[in-house]
Amino acid sequence: MLVDLLRTKRWLRVLLSGLSVLLLLGGVALVGYPFATNMWQDRIQTQLDNQIASPELQQAYKERKVETGDSLTRIKIPALGLDTVVVEGTTPSALRAGAGHYPQTPLPCEGGNVSIAGHRTTYGRPFGNVDQLKPGDTIELTTPIGGCVYQVAKAPFVVAPSEMSVIEPTGERSLTLTTCHPKGSAAQRLIVRATWVKDLKAA
Amino acid sequence: MRTVQRLGAIALTGLVISGILASPASAQASAQTVETRPESFIATAAARGLEINLFGTRATIGQASALVNSTPTAKASGAGVALVAGTVSTSEVNAPNQSAAPLKACLANLPVAGLLTVELACGESRVDTNNGAPTAFGKGSIAGVDLAALNALNPTIEQLQALLTQLLPVVDQTVATALALPGVSGLLTPLVAGLGLAPTSTVTPVTTLLNGLIDGVRRATGLLDITVGESTAQAVTTANAVTATANAAGAQIDLLPALTTGGAPLLSIIVGQAKSVSTFDRGTAKSTPSFDAAVARVRLALPVLGVPVTEIPVQLGTPLTLLAGTPLETTISLGAGRTVTDPNTGAVASYADGVSIHLLKGVGGGIAIELAHAETGAGGQTRLVTQQQLIQPVVPTLAKTGNDPWLPLAGAGMLVVALGIRRRIVAAQPARIDERVSR
Repeated sequence: MLVDLLRTKRWLRVLLSGLSVLLLLGGVALVGYPFATNMWQDRIQTQLDNQIASPELQQAYKERKVETGDSLTRIKIPALGLDTVVVEGTTPSALRAGAGHYPQTPLPCEGGNVSIAGHRTTYGRPFGNVDQLKPGDTIELTTPIGGCVYQVAKAPFVVAPSEMSVIEPTGERSLTLTTCHPKGSAAQRLIVRATWVKDLKAA
Repeated sequence: MRTVQRLGAIALTGLVISGILASPASAQASAQTVETRPESFIATAAARGLEINLFGTRATIGQASALVNSTPTAKASGAGVALVAGTVSTSEVNAPNQSAAPLKACLANLPVAGLLTVELACGESRVDTNNGAPTAFGKGSIAGVDLAALNALNPTIEQLQALLTQLLPVVDQTVATALALPGVSGLLTPLVAGLGLAPTSTVTPVTTLLNGLIDGVRRATGLLDITVGESTAQAVTTANAVTATANAAGAQIDLLPALTTGGAPLLSIIVGQAKSVSTFDRGTAKSTPSFDAAVARVRLALPVLGVPVTEIPVQLGTPLTLLAGTPLETTISLGAGRTVTDPNTGAVASYADGVSIHLLKGVGGGIAIELAHAETGAGGQTRLVTQQQLIQPVVPTLAKTGNDPWLPLAGAGMLVVALGIRRRIVAAQPARIDERVSR
């Protein structure tokens, strides 16, 4: 029926042809979106790698004037094979780097509850497998002026996105990682809570 | 040409996708329509069939009232005889989609203040606020009012008879002679003038006139007969307007009923309907009052005196006095009605004044009657709406590090649909494909 109509109506062929092109381009864009973000994040990480080693950043860090989107610390989780640079800030723009530091929380390795958010499925998905962390696993932060090691205190747990209490100050030196849950969705948040173990000497 | 079309399609696609991706940012800054003042209105209606002051005792008969406002509230009452509980019906609702319609309250053969007997007095009311539009209706009605003859009629008749008896010694005199007698002229002068008799007339013997009056008074079945129609008050809210309407139906008052052998009363006062309407326009907030004032006719029937029934018009603003100087002296005033507008709020009121009658002034202060009074009022303000910048409270959340899961699925779906369309387009062009193959 449609084929017969297409044979006789040229305008309909043109219309559907245009529509199919639109759908093709849109479909490719949506399907390819996660891959594109990974490529984007990879590019940004290269720049951040260079920045975190720069004297300018070291100075800014000492003065506590690291701008949103600039390198802040490197995070390593041996159990997951993770090694990525964390930027300052958790705005959507900053988080294109993969992981960002909540600016209202202490700087890495300082006293209190240091909190870091990271993507789980896109932008390099640095926190893609944090749900596999177990108590005792270590997390290492390396800042421009030093570093420290934390140890996962308890199994990852899920909270509502509005549960801001997980990044509120704590009486002890701790590290909180947040990421979206379940994978591919932003309906909930997965939380990893780790406690400070030791400081690392500056390189 | 084909290349141009494809480039155009690609450009269009780019624009569409850009729009989709950009839309979340622009949605943040939006204005919102905010109601800064809700609509408010009120409309009231009240009608009174008859208010009678009988030798100092007051009674209101046939009373109705209604009120609606934007709360929404609807109140109504109807009374056959005011303050007599068995004839009063009231109802009220104060929330949307409520209604009340109590049973009609009626009493038969109801004595009022020891002077009146009301044959049947009823009050009814009903209200509702369906769909938030309040409506109220009240009605008061009576079937008949009789004066208790023993208390009210006797003094008047006794006075009349005493005066007439004084005339008996001069029954053979002419009218002029009778008029010259002290104590008699006060009664006869207005009668003679009303009958059109010349003071010097000898045609009509005074004997006939006086005998006719005495017979008539003896024959009269009562002092006063009152017939009153129903009074209604209604307030209705529609999508466009709020309207208050008060109606006081007409009435007839007969003084000395059955005075004549034919059953006619000495005096009949017939009062027409009084109506008042006030309307509040919900679109423009303008209120409009109007009224139809009652009209009155008076029939003086003295066939016992040998003259036909005379109809006397009542002029607006000029009280009419009949039988002046006699115990039966009666004054009738016709109300004009008026409207009032509050210059500050625009609220209006409308009064349809009825007829005021003062009967039998010479007997204990007489009987004062207010008939057919209706009044309404309406006013309000329209809803005020302004455009305001929407300030949404920021609810802090943990950083969003995930995406909508349907995005890749939607992309895959779009690809499948696109490929399906392409297949059908290609299938519809076999000839062209064949041509390419043959080349």
